[in-house]
Amino acid sequence: MTPPAAPAPALAAAALALARAFHDGATLWCWCPTATSHARHLAVEFLHPVIVGKRALPAIAVEAEGGVDVLRTSVRAGDVVVVVADGDDARALDVATRAPAWGLEVIWLATGRPPPAGAATAARIVALGTDAEDADVVCAYHLLWELAHVCLEHPGVLEGRGERATTCPACMDAGDLGEVERAEGHDAVVTVGGTRQLVDLSLVEPCGAGELVVVHAGVAIAKLAGGLHG
Amino acid sequence: MGERTGFLYPFLEQASDDPEALLADLARSAAAKWEESVGLRRAVCRAHEDEVRTAAGEVATRLASGARVFAFGNGGSSADADAFVAACRAVRPRPVPALSLCADPAVLTALANDVGSDVIFTRQLAAHARAGDVAVAFSTSGGSPNLLEAFAHCRRHGVLTVGFTGHDGPRLGPSVDHRFVVQATSIHRIQEAQTALATRLTAAISIAMAEDAA
Repeated sequence: MTPPAAPAPALAAAALALARAFHDGATLWCWCPTATSHARHLAVEFLHPVIVGKRALPAIAVEAEGGVDVLRTSVRAGDVVVVVADGDDARALDVATRAPAWGLEVIWLATGRPPPAGAATAARIVALGTDAEDADVVCAYHLLWELAHVCLEHPGVLEGRGERATTCPACMDAGDLGEVERAEGHDAVVTVGGTRQLVDLSLVEPCGAGELVVVHAGVAIAKLAGGLHG
Repeated sequence: MGERTGFLYPFLEQASDDPEALLADLARSAAAKWEESVGLRRAVCRAHEDEVRTAAGEVATRLASGARVFAFGNGGSSADADAFVAACRAVRPRPVPALSLCADPAVLTALANDVGSDVIFTRQLAAHARAGDVAVAFSTSGGSPNLLEAFAHCRRHGVLTVGFTGHDGPRLGPSVDHRFVVQATSIHRIQEAQTALATRLTAAISIAMAEDAA
């Protein structure tokens, strides 16, 4: 079996994004839908580093069973989640699709096949290859930790965390992704980039709690069935 | 370049405020460390091939007599122990009865609070492990008092000990039945090589169980 090639440029870019987020006060959430052990190992690396003298950074492991329900209620806008999952994993895809509505940035350490084209478009994908075994995954998050610390020691690169894309980068649909919290008649409370807004649903009804919509100027202009390009 | 990462990134000679230049340096470093990790894992797995097979055979023999496997470690190694337990339970056709001693915060905090962290594994082994069972410990230092104490208990009670450890320190005590030592200085590279070894050990246990059954 050929060992997977190093996903080095993707890891470096993810580490810089993560360092910028920490610099802005973010918490790192760690989640693997199939193994809580990966989430815990990842979180403890950041919270209690093995190299003496390194900063303790806020990182929290989410149980494998957690996912959307835990992250939706726990994250703050500007936070980051590292997802360790196969690119085909339906629960990981669900998190990656909804995350922009919560203002959550996604770094996806993808085992197996990468996420399908057009899905998880806002996520940073670090593809570990179809042959990746557990040791490759552990190596990937060890390097993510190490590179993020190097970035944190270069204050000059930490400013200018870009506005996160909330429109579809493929078709440039105007508007922001929102997740409906509750709806009553035409009126709904929708979470957009981590902020609750009153939104008019009349163009997209029927539409209920948990559904994803594109919001423009307080009006939901499209409903996304099963994802950004459902 | 800060003093504290100077030793990790000798080629980053001066502070860089240019994200593109920094990213290029980081990618180069990540690629080198990835190769180092892959090379170390390959060498370690080759060097321990026979020991993996021998240990797996003994574990399989004990499993056939009704043994259970207990795995444990501290910090990141506790997660490695959890992963090993999950892999054991995923063995088919007959899952390996494996338990993590790191999985229950009620037990761990009760023992740590009431007695001390040195006994968090030994007390659980005293309650659960019988002669003939198997204890698997993960450690990078090989010197954690709670692991040394747990393995000493295992020796006194006929529990087979399998230890993953780093190159330095007491290597989990004077007499470990099957010891997998990873010769590396980086704690991260040691953990990655241990994970690769544990993957191979689980596979070898699965094969040995099938051979015993045949």
